[in-house]
Amino acid sequence: MNNKYKVLLIEDEANIRNLVSAMLETHGYQIITAETCASGVILFDSHVPDLVVLDLGLPDGDGNRFIRYVRKSSAVPIIVLSARSGEKDKIASLDLGANDYITKPFGAGEFMARVRSALRNFRHSSQEGRLPGGKFILGDLVIDYDARRVCVSGNEIHFTQTEYNIVALLSEHSGKIMTYSSMIKAIWGDHEDEGSVKKLQVNMANIRKKLGAKPGESRFITNELGVGYRMEG
Amino acid sequence: MVKRVIRDIFISAAALCSAFLVSLLFHYVFDIYEHVSTLFAFAVFLISVYTDGYVYGVVSAFVGALAINYAFAFPYFEFDFLTPVNFISAFVMVIIAVLTGTLTTKLKKHEAEKAESERERMRANLLRAVSHDIRTPLTTIYGSASTMEEEWNELSAEKKLAMLKGIREDSDWLVRMVENLLSVTRMQDGQNVKIIKTPTVVDELIDSVLVKFRKGHQFDNIRISLPDELLIVPMDAMLIEQVIINLMDNAVRHGKGMTEMSVSVCSSDDDVVFEIRDNGSGISVERVTRMLNGHYGDSKDSGDGQKKNAGIGLSVCAAIVRAHGGDIFAENSREGGAVFRFILEKEEGSVE
Repeated sequence: MNNKYKVLLIEDEANIRNLVSAMLETHGYQIITAETCASGVILFDSHVPDLVVLDLGLPDGDGNRFIRYVRKSSAVPIIVLSARSGEKDKIASLDLGANDYITKPFGAGEFMARVRSALRNFRHSSQEGRLPGGKFILGDLVIDYDARRVCVSGNEIHFTQTEYNIVALLSEHSGKIMTYSSMIKAIWGDHEDEGSVKKLQVNMANIRKKLGAKPGESRFITNELGVGYRMEG
Repeated sequence: MVKRVIRDIFISAAALCSAFLVSLLFHYVFDIYEHVSTLFAFAVFLISVYTDGYVYGVVSAFVGALAINYAFAFPYFEFDFLTPVNFISAFVMVIIAVLTGTLTTKLKKHEAEKAESERERMRANLLRAVSHDIRTPLTTIYGSASTMEEEWNELSAEKKLAMLKGIREDSDWLVRMVENLLSVTRMQDGQNVKIIKTPTVVDELIDSVLVKFRKGHQFDNIRISLPDELLIVPMDAMLIEQVIINLMDNAVRHGKGMTEMSVSVCSSDDDVVFEIRDNGSGISVERVTRMLNGHYGDSKDSGDGQKKNAGIGLSVCAAIVRAHGGDIFAENSREGGAVFRFILEKEEGSVE
């Protein structure tokens, strides 16, 4: 039978619809398309896709409305396409529950990488990100949730309590961009303000150092400038 | 804000005290009586010129009048408010304060208007240059696409691939130009230059720059040099990212014979210095400085589309850096390659 992933694409521009459909179909995905928020909702409910690719600037309402609706009942990965490049819009969509964000224009390579990453994330989280034995594995990185221990290439890395909590949080949502405010709320229970963002930045800098990351050569965790952080999925 | 008030009070007090002391000297030591009023009038004038608004000048005028009344008019070292002579000098000083205040306010407004029309001129220049330049990549994109549509079977596979490559490269250029334009609009809110600075980790900034740069360029020999300690600087990260990418892009496109590029950040007590250098054949400092001041597309350069691109990128860099209250420089290194350097303040200074 049909083992292809089903992708719902909601985009009002015909040329972009054709383009993205072509990209996905050549890589073996099944596409359903919608041109408005309203028809997107109907198709979502009836087809239950594995992934949603959503344009923010839809004619009958902001794509964020769709995200809000879907997130009431589903954790399906959502990738947002947008022409707006300011951080505020990205953060708004991500905080509402989008997994990832791509700014137009984008190339096929970049787009397909995000699609694969989002689908991997969904697979992980449906097992709560854990493989048997309560572990998270990403390349050389192994996180043992029960022992609260992180090892890279077999060597244990000594993190502080807070640093471990951050790494574990990112791994539980691997592939998804975690905004500053969602991380601050999850780790410290605070609201985002200048002090708490700085706390987060300082902790992330220490984490990066301990993981051996250098600018341009990230190790497991990438930073989305001004928006948040992500553990590769 | 508070700094200015303190500064203005200091200026007023200093000017009045100086006038008072010099008058004391003239009056009681040298027995010269005529110049007291002139000295105080001069002090009031200076105060009106160098402080903000009318308040300080007018208040100083009254204080000065009181001082003259007290120390330099009969009865000495006593106040006497009944003799009309004393009122005249007070009156004259207040008029001086008000008129000078009006004059300086007009001057400041005039200067603001000049700066605004200068900005308008630069914006118009930018639009003109970009509109003109956009035709070049569009020619390739439109021409290649329509050729392939019409002559698909007649063209060889290599030809088609070459055209597609050209389309993609020119699209890259267009994307960069759009980002530059968006940066300009991001900086301006109607009349005012409005930049929202947020604390940004320099490591993260450079990391993001490198990721973006690698997407559009094959060039890989980039040396990075950053401070060991955590460096957080207030800035509009997206705009500064644009600056660094523009400078790196220029180095790759225009640095003849370039094989290596370095991006370094150093921090001192008050500011942070970003430096992008390459080992190419260097730049014409004079021409680059002109571009940094908004003069791109001089008729001499016309016909060389590449150079114009560099000009637009550079003037956007300069606009962004200056809007942050920083400064940007270009020079050639001892080894002959180009060096671009810009400086940002570390502390959140007052944004006037």
